[in-house]
Amino acid sequence: MILITGASRGLGRAVAERLVESGEDVLGISRETEGLPFEAVACDVSDYNAVKKIAQDLRKQKKEITGVINAAGIASMNLAVTTPPSMTQKLIQTNLVGTIHCCQLFAPLMIRRKVGSIINFSTIAVALGLKGESIYAASKAGVEGFSRAFAREMADFYIRVNCVAPGPIKTDLLKGVSDEQIEAIVSQQVMPKIFQPGDVCDLCEFLLSPQSKSVSGQVLHVGGA
Amino acid sequence: MTHVAGLILLIMNLEESKSIVRACISEITDGEVDPTDDMNLIGKEASLDSMKLVELCLALEDKAGDLDFEFDWTSEAAMSRSRSLFRTVNSLAEEFHAQSQSKE
Repeated sequence: MILITGASRGLGRAVAERLVESGEDVLGISRETEGLPFEAVACDVSDYNAVKKIAQDLRKQKKEITGVINAAGIASMNLAVTTPPSMTQKLIQTNLVGTIHCCQLFAPLMIRRKVGSIINFSTIAVALGLKGESIYAASKAGVEGFSRAFAREMADFYIRVNCVAPGPIKTDLLKGVSDEQIEAIVSQQVMPKIFQPGDVCDLCEFLLSPQSKSVSGQVLHVGGA
Repeated sequence: MTHVAGLILLIMNLEESKSIVRACISEITDGEVDPTDDMNLIGKEASLDSMKLVELCLALEDKAGDLDFEFDWTSEAAMSRSRSLFRTVNSLAEEFHAQSQSKE
């Protein structure tokens, strides 16, 4: 079974649907679960005890977890000086702390069987240092730093940990960002084109597969950075 | 008499918890570590590396499941109680025993 946070919309949902199409057993984890075309459980990943409850239930059900994809995240495009402290807290709690919660509580489900792949979502905003995304980038830079160190901690248990860092991909997260702004970011990628959710799904499928058995502790930029 | 019997049961259960912890340590180390009650689990003189400590926690979690209670080694309370439940075999067994009692 593959666990996917942020599975109700955006890239998390796209990846969940792709994996279901590929025949994987998927459990979506998101704040809203109504109408999702796959098994899902409601949870705010910034709530440690809520994530822990899911982990305990999965252990009791003896579910064989082979992958965890942490795609839950929120974005706020603002200059740091005009970002209210409540938004700063929310960004860090959901994007960074939520990812840490899921890694530390779901990893033991894979440690027993000594196999697994964890994919944490970052953003190209970290590598490019994008203006107007400083706090969002800070939360995701934390995810990257955590993932690199966590990959070493998990290596003894044959669990791989990597980050996928997409550039601008047209999902809910980007509504409110103008085409000109998107073009300005895309032009800084190694491959200056807009990639699709399917491209991110391809990368996730690769990282979940045995073909990526030698890859861990890496940040893979969609489009290059 | 009932109190004494209860006390004996409590002592037996704590001893049983120690036996379980020691057995789990032997199992995860393939018998290479012969655990004693005061053996350090963390710190400079730790007898297990961090990887084995995680395996020990998971083994105890499984054992607790067999005994029909939840062994929670990740809670704030368990981690901070008397500094750390991982200090020694004894402190870990005491925590294991305490959690088995509280779930009854």
